[in-house]
Amino acid sequence: MSDPILTACGLRKTFLSGDRRLEVLTGVDLDVAAGESVSIRGESGSGKSTLLQLLAGLDAPDAGTLAWAGTPDTGTKRRATFLGIVFQSFYLIPELDARENVLMARRILGGIDPEARARADALLAKVGLAERMTHLPAQLSGGERQRVAVARALMNSPRLILADEPTGNLDERTGDAVIELLLGLCAETKTSLVLVTHNAAHAQKTHRQLVLRGGTFAHG
Amino acid sequence: MPWYLYLALKQLFPTGRKFPFFTAISVLGVALGVALLVISTSVMGGFGYEIRRMIVDTQGEVQVRADGLINDSVGLQARLAAVPGVVATTPFAEGVVMLEHERKPAYPAMQGIDVNRVGAVVPLEKFIRLGRLEDLDDDSVILSSKLALSIGARLGSKVEVYSPLLLEKLKNDEVFLPRELRVVGIFEVGHQQLDSSVVLVTLRQMQELYGLGGAIHGINVKIAPKADADAVASLINASLPPAARAHARSWIEANQDFLFILQLEKNMIFFLLTFIIIVSAFSVTSSLLISVVRKTREIGLLGALGAEPRQVAACFCFQGLLIGSAGTLAGLALGFGTLHFRNALVEGFTRLTSSEEVLTRFYQFSQLPAHTAVGDVIMIVVCSVVISTLAGLLPAWRAARLKPVEALRNE
Repeated sequence: MSDPILTACGLRKTFLSGDRRLEVLTGVDLDVAAGESVSIRGESGSGKSTLLQLLAGLDAPDAGTLAWAGTPDTGTKRRATFLGIVFQSFYLIPELDARENVLMARRILGGIDPEARARADALLAKVGLAERMTHLPAQLSGGERQRVAVARALMNSPRLILADEPTGNLDERTGDAVIELLLGLCAETKTSLVLVTHNAAHAQKTHRQLVLRGGTFAHG
Repeated sequence: MPWYLYLALKQLFPTGRKFPFFTAISVLGVALGVALLVISTSVMGGFGYEIRRMIVDTQGEVQVRADGLINDSVGLQARLAAVPGVVATTPFAEGVVMLEHERKPAYPAMQGIDVNRVGAVVPLEKFIRLGRLEDLDDDSVILSSKLALSIGARLGSKVEVYSPLLLEKLKNDEVFLPRELRVVGIFEVGHQQLDSSVVLVTLRQMQELYGLGGAIHGINVKIAPKADADAVASLINASLPPAARAHARSWIEANQDFLFILQLEKNMIFFLLTFIIIVSAFSVTSSLLISVVRKTREIGLLGALGAEPRQVAACFCFQGLLIGSAGTLAGLALGFGTLHFRNALVEGFTRLTSSEEVLTRFYQFSQLPAHTAVGDVIMIVVCSVVISTLAGLLPAWRAARLKPVEALRNE
């Protein structure tokens, strides 16, 4: 196995709900190698999304360490280049068309050039939306929106993609197509993937399958 | 273009929507405030400008007066002519007289003027409505229009003038008959007070009526175009010998209380109307706050994509700035457009309300004056843009405080 792209050690997270303390993660260890795809399954409320947010550096763990490619810097600037994130609800900006939504990932890094535009167009073509680049999110179907979100996640050539139930809002057929696309593109670009999903069939398509239960991984 | 400016533009003017309602309403609010400010300060400025022009046209820009009489009028005028900035001078004598025509008395202020020199200092000629200024001689008088009307005098009428010298002569048991003068002109300045209480005679006549000999009461001074009246008055004062006991005052200094009131009125109107912009800024704040709440998840996404909180804040602040700038531009266009057609609008309004004469009678002007000072426009633009930008601060602060993970948890 090559050097890990993602290393998480003993991640713990507790939430307060009134007087109650909810121990959502009780010590999660995870290594993801370059080019590897890992799926995480678990029941609702098992802490999958919380774990993904910790892995993305969007939230801080109560305990434990996290490193991206061996470096503990998981700040905003590095996240923009190291990670691509795909959400269940797509989160496209409604005022921007498909191309501009994809380009937004690059704009945030500091401006776009013709090369970036060409890459956005190529990515949209790859996800099958060559004819829909100038369409606003409201003019796209759910599957098409998620494909735009996948293209956006790949825009900055990240080394790791975190996908949080990307098929949760899609019908089965469209969800299958999106997963195939995501896995295919990750394999093609040698990008690592952590996929949080409820769908056992989708999970089976990844290199490694993990199940989150009781706040930690139980190999499934 | 930085992403936050780009996104701000896109949120205000979304692709494919010809009429972004939120933007239009916000811009309109600011525009109305700016237009009202432009119109009101310009009209107030117009009234002030017309009144100032009237003062200068009737009194000259600088006036030299002495504690008592000025006996060496010629010598003093020669001294004034040598002061830098002085273009022309004209002497005058003045005082109250009793004037009677067909047993109708009046008590106007009489001005004795040097007919040959007065035109170089004050444009009296342009105020003469009937007759001619050059017809004024030692046996004639020019009446102000409303005064002439009140005593029933017209061109060619004979009026009798009684001066205070008459009372002095009576004290000494001397006989002093009133002077009979022929009306050779009627003037109208356009100012209620001046048009109902001033008469003009020759300087020599005035000196005789008041027993001044060769003395005068003062000298009106014309200064070079663009010269500062206060500065020229200071130079004149520096050149006057102490023995003359004379003092030069600019028209600004002489009317400072009146000018202060004019400026105060204008400032108060500016201050009060600025609240319209402040109220519209509150509507911008409220709309942007709603936008922040509506776009909570998008703000979370931007954070997840690597946006800094200050950049998210800049996005909303810039929307306030854009609304303010667009509203200010639209307001300037609306304001100046209205000013351009102001007289037609006022005419229509007065015709509708049958109040055509009110403007002339109470405001002294037959047309609505307007004078826009560049400084006022700059002040309006700065106030409007700054207030609108500040309106974006609260929403910007709220947006910047949103943590991506909490914003995304909204799902």
